[in-house]
Amino acid sequence: MNPQVIIPGPDALPLPAPVFLLQFLLQLTFLLHLLAMNALLGGLLITLFARIKGDGGDDPWTSLPDAVAKVSPSLVAATVTLGVAPLLFLQTLYGQFFFTSSILMGWGWFSVVVVLIFAYYGTYLQSFRGKDLGGGQMPLLGLTVILFLWIGFMFTNNTSLMLHPEKWAAMYFADARGLHLNLTDPQLWPRYLHMVLGAVAVAGLMLLWWGRSRLARGDTSGAFMVRTGGGTFTWFTLVNIVLGLWYYMAQPAHVRKLFMGGQPLATALFGIGFVLGIVLVVLGFLLRRQGEGANPWPVSVLALAEMIVMIMMRDAVRAGSLGAHFRPETFAVQPQVLNLVIFAVLLLAGIGVLVWMVRQLYLAWER
Amino acid sequence: MNYPVWELSMGAGILMAWVSILHVFVSHFAVGGGLWLVVTEMRARRTGDDRLLDFVKSHSRFFMLLTLVFGAISGVGIWTTIGLISPHGTSALIHGYVWGWAMEWVFFFLEIGAALVYYYGWKRLDARTHLAMGWIYFIAAFMSLVIINGIVTFMLTPGGWLENHEFWTGFFNPTYWPSAVIRTFMGLAIAGMFTLMTAAGLPRDAFRTRVIRWNAAWAFGGLVVVALAAKWYGASVAVWRDEEALLGAIPILPVVAGYFKWGIIVTALLALVPLLLPKVWNRGLVAVLLLCGLLTMGAGEWTREAGRKPFVIQKYMYSTGMLASQEDVVAEQGMAASAKWISPDAMDDPVRLGRDLYRAYCQPCHTRDGYNGLQPYLAHWDEETVSGLLPRLENIRALMPPWYGTDRENAALTSYLMTMKPQTKPDWPADPDAAAQLAFDVSCGLCHTPDGFRSLRDSFGGMTADEIDEFLDEAGDVDEGMPAYTGTEKQRKALIRYLEELGQEPQPAGETAAVPADSEGRQS
Repeated sequence: MNPQVIIPGPDALPLPAPVFLLQFLLQLTFLLHLLAMNALLGGLLITLFARIKGDGGDDPWTSLPDAVAKVSPSLVAATVTLGVAPLLFLQTLYGQFFFTSSILMGWGWFSVVVVLIFAYYGTYLQSFRGKDLGGGQMPLLGLTVILFLWIGFMFTNNTSLMLHPEKWAAMYFADARGLHLNLTDPQLWPRYLHMVLGAVAVAGLMLLWWGRSRLARGDTSGAFMVRTGGGTFTWFTLVNIVLGLWYYMAQPAHVRKLFMGGQPLATALFGIGFVLGIVLVVLGFLLRRQGEGANPWPVSVLALAEMIVMIMMRDAVRAGSLGAHFRPETFAVQPQVLNLVIFAVLLLAGIGVLVWMVRQLYLAWER
Repeated sequence: MNYPVWELSMGAGILMAWVSILHVFVSHFAVGGGLWLVVTEMRARRTGDDRLLDFVKSHSRFFMLLTLVFGAISGVGIWTTIGLISPHGTSALIHGYVWGWAMEWVFFFLEIGAALVYYYGWKRLDARTHLAMGWIYFIAAFMSLVIINGIVTFMLTPGGWLENHEFWTGFFNPTYWPSAVIRTFMGLAIAGMFTLMTAAGLPRDAFRTRVIRWNAAWAFGGLVVVALAAKWYGASVAVWRDEEALLGAIPILPVVAGYFKWGIIVTALLALVPLLLPKVWNRGLVAVLLLCGLLTMGAGEWTREAGRKPFVIQKYMYSTGMLASQEDVVAEQGMAASAKWISPDAMDDPVRLGRDLYRAYCQPCHTRDGYNGLQPYLAHWDEETVSGLLPRLENIRALMPPWYGTDRENAALTSYLMTMKPQTKPDWPADPDAAAQLAFDVSCGLCHTPDGFRSLRDSFGGMTADEIDEFLDEAGDVDEGMPAYTGTEKQRKALIRYLEELGQEPQPAGETAAVPADSEGRQS
């Protein structure tokens, strides 16, 4: 028997911009959010590992966490701020799906806000009071990491549940108290782990760059960062290839088919993504062999390209899963050109001011 | 209707209130406090006052920890919460105002970036650059208020937008400017309150006195402007200008508006204490001041929310998600067919149908026995009362969306509501006055007030108990909008007592002038 499928209708008000533009802004701002999120979550996971490994003295495994702790509150700020925009565009385009899945997991989704406030304060506590905490530092860091992992888990639940309208009606009529999650979905765990361990890989690469900038200033502690960061990036990318394949296998047959010739773009992305993954691992190993002086530019540019491919694949999964349920061509569109222009001008000016501000701080710090 | 409804036993409104009141207090601090920081820093630098500069510096840490973390995240929290409890409203606001939100987002990231640079720049940046960061922060935070204010006021008074659906028409709506002034100066007042808190911990000397006076001036001055702007605001809301709502069409409105009014007066008087007697100022008084400020702000926001009833976006979309423009279609096809989330079992199971209808249409605002609970009423009603009221819901003075149930739907919802009726017999007050009041509240009082909205006093003037008794027998024939009287014998006796006394007592002084020309109420 076919399950009953209920999907809210699209909003009665027209979209204030063409669908392709909103899609583009969604993907673009999501990439930025992902970069910040990877630095934060991946950075904290690496930090946690380092804390466990460090002896508390002056070995590099101990000084690394202290350095990360200093920047993590600003990384939370960046992650949240850059997360707001994609969430806005997601709700604009996919509100019918996103609001529904959010309501089904109401408390879980709401918990993100409360948990985030605690996790955020956790990073400030480590940044401002880390040294005074003594033995409490480890448990605090562990708890903070668990809280951030929880937030990510809720996001994965929501973004995967929103792709399964066929599950909603039964879930809702069984229990409307907002206690559902998407735990029975085979793609949940690979999707989540791919995100989390992907974050660790990217954070490894960022650590490598950070180490290089330290070395350039004659700070020898950078060498350890370069080594650790490079190794983390390489090994975790390797793991991510496996996870990516698991994620692919966990897709329903009709979505898998899209990536196997069913749809040229999806198939091309899958192929490029896979090859790029292998190339990144090979480059990663080469980089390690070349030592501190190696040029990380090629691997970084390719890693960024890989992230873009992954985001586009994720979008292909979404389009494939929703299929005929999502028909943007039926949406009424009434572009608000003037407002779009105002936004664009403000955005450019805003980025300019932000860059100027950070530069002032950097220059002063250099002095 | 279009979206599923999150079943929250505490009531969606309560969750919303918690999140939004806390957020609003801190977010206004984020704006006003930004100006305080930069102005006070300028003052300290100009006068070479190092202690004042240190005070600003230490306060900025508290400021950052409160506004960047709690303030910013609880703001995202409001968005999350409205998406859960009013997805249709959120979706409409996003569709109409995506570019507004996107512009706000630019100021949001600038604000956060500037706050971080300002804080981490204390030691490193030169004075001029540091002040520039402070100004950038304040301007970005203020612009964020300027934009959100447009969208929030739009929901209560969309004005010309209802005709043209044009972004800027809805944005600069009739309450835009008074609300912008209220919010700006409330921000300055809250900045004064929070800095009074930081200052209370200073060692007692001349410096402390000076700082406390300075901060108290912000708090008091801000509140005086808020009070004046609130008058202007009240006059800008058409429905309140007619005083119809304030006369009791929305019972909660005069109550919360009263809290707001008295809240401003009490908070302003409290803020006078540190201004006039800075020496007596201490941490205990700070706590009282902040609590008063928080509750006042909460009452203000609640007034605005209550004033919107029964709409999410005034005259455009009801709280249930029904569009005013859809009403004809809904009236034609019935409530179940108009709601998406009705279980297929409901087709042949009336109990299920009743439950699903309740969930889709009642639960967005009501709970069983909590906020806006139905049990306190159901305890005194029987099936006949409920089925008489259902088709007349839009007449209820709490202002509910209209109900277009078919006979089958009405019967199903009535039976479901009756399952919620408390099993034990309700307490009936022993005091005859209290009993009379209760009897009125659960019957006539649902749609009428003694003197204001659809007033009754004159109608019962000079009527005897017997005449009233007779009238109650025929109540259902008076007009279409009125159901038959179905109270128990005990309730009926108490109600007669109430109405008889009402007809005999003259109207309390001072309320005469407030009666609008058309006290018939809002049938249309």
